[in-house]
Amino acid sequence: MSTSPLAQALGDLEEDKAIVLVADKLAKGEPALAILEELQAGMNIVGERFESCEYYLSELIYAADIFKKAGAPLQEELKRSPQTSYGTLVLGTVKNDIHEFGKDIVATVMSSNGIKVIDLGVNVEPQAFVVAIKENKATLVGMSCLLTTVFDDMREAIQTIKDAGLRDQVTILIGGGPVDQATADYVGADHYCRTAQDGVIAAKNVLGVS
Amino acid sequence: MATTEELYAVHEKRIRDAVALKTPDRVPVIPNGPAWPGRAMGVKISEIATNPPVSRKAIVDAYTGLGDIDGIQSPAYHVCTLSMMWLSKVKVPGRDLPDDELWQVDEAEIMKLEDYDAIVAEGFGPWLERYYKERLPGTLETFGAFAATIPDALALCRERGVVPFTPAVATIPYEYFCGGRSMKEFLLDLFRHGDKVQAAMDAALPVLIENMRGAIRGLGLMGLWIGGWRSAGEFVSPRLWNRFVFPYYKAMVEAALEEGAIPVLHFDADWTRDLERLREFPKGKCVLSLDGKTDIFKAKEVLGDHMCIMGDVHPGLLALGSPEEVTAYCTRLISEIGPAGFILSSGCDVPIDAKYENVKAMVEAVL
Repeated sequence: MSTSPLAQALGDLEEDKAIVLVADKLAKGEPALAILEELQAGMNIVGERFESCEYYLSELIYAADIFKKAGAPLQEELKRSPQTSYGTLVLGTVKNDIHEFGKDIVATVMSSNGIKVIDLGVNVEPQAFVVAIKENKATLVGMSCLLTTVFDDMREAIQTIKDAGLRDQVTILIGGGPVDQATADYVGADHYCRTAQDGVIAAKNVLGVS
Repeated sequence: MATTEELYAVHEKRIRDAVALKTPDRVPVIPNGPAWPGRAMGVKISEIATNPPVSRKAIVDAYTGLGDIDGIQSPAYHVCTLSMMWLSKVKVPGRDLPDDELWQVDEAEIMKLEDYDAIVAEGFGPWLERYYKERLPGTLETFGAFAATIPDALALCRERGVVPFTPAVATIPYEYFCGGRSMKEFLLDLFRHGDKVQAAMDAALPVLIENMRGAIRGLGLMGLWIGGWRSAGEFVSPRLWNRFVFPYYKAMVEAALEEGAIPVLHFDADWTRDLERLREFPKGKCVLSLDGKTDIFKAKEVLGDHMCIMGDVHPGLLALGSPEEVTAYCTRLISEIGPAGFILSSGCDVPIDAKYENVKAMVEAVL
């Protein structure tokens, strides 16, 4: 499949061009959902370049911001579309940790890759994950932390999800500064994500998105 | 029995030998971090955060109690240093958090886009003073009072025969601005307002270098941290790193060396991509201190004949591992990264919840 000029512009981080192309397409009456898909194809290019170390976190953030800005005029129409996301991720920094940045990056990058994010914020109580999973019928949970002292809080949050009988219906992704595979094993998560892009790949695999 | 002066001399020589890439009589060990000593000594974290006489005693007592350590990276601590360096608010135990919880940086966009122009127009020094007064009130005064206590912390180390290796921290404009703007906004600035950011960085650098020179002279420092956190290659592409990061480190390292201090590149996060560039720093004069995220074995391969390496017992291992696992990892570090040109240490701070027997196992690995 050939790459559209809009997808290419986003992939190449050409902000002004991407914004103009979206405006042109809307003016021509192209459906918002089709334009959104082109922007998501652009984010795929960004993801591939991140994987091949051509792009880094700096470019992931810039691309996601271009995506948000260029996609803003589509929002009204998209609200009326039946399905605009592949699935839902409930996301939060676990209890007793107020660090936001890593969690925010994941939210930004996931959203721009077609995954609906329910962002619970920081210092999230275990029960809040349970409530959000139920309310949003989420199949993905993301937990973040920057402190080793909250590994037990992360473990407790996962146990609470298990106690609520929801463990089998969600895939749990974790990440953050001190987190590694040993932490994932300790807290009982399904995947340790070293980067936000690792999270996107894991989420798409779970959701069966190619 | 050796006097404390003799012990100090042995420890200092061991460290200087390692920095000069020689093989000391044994690998030096220099633990780091103020929070774990609080837990180990039964001192509330609020006291560690805000009471320098209490924190220095806890730090020195806790680490010297582990065995014959060679030094402590910093025996002096006050949580206000985080606000000073990252232009950020910090949630402080006993004030914003329960008494015995760890402090946390409260990242928010308190530096605005227009501040880059203001820095150039006003000069970085006056702008910074105004910033602290208006947006982080009390920080400057608290830091001034803390700084006046640092000589006492250095003296306490000397009395115990251990080297206060890096009791001051300098860093590049990138880290200041990134903290003040919040990381996401700052990274977007690099793309959208790169010239403005660079002009402000160029205005800030000479002031930061002068401040660093003053600290080295005033405290008679053997070494100091030149810290890097969010300027790691893990976060920024080479194009941005080459423009906004490396030239500023180079200038700071050169200035520290001119003052006769050992620049300890305290580089948290993953710097593996750019290890080769660190060969541009003079051979046998600097230390690269890693936190477990950079591949230390790759660092040895790339830099082992050029720069002393310090680290990197990972916080996760110290918190969750067993003493046997810590010993096994330290033994590997000593044989594969050392014995020449290597200093054993925790990767960044010993975490607050590290098991006592794990920290002890780290120290005992060199004995």
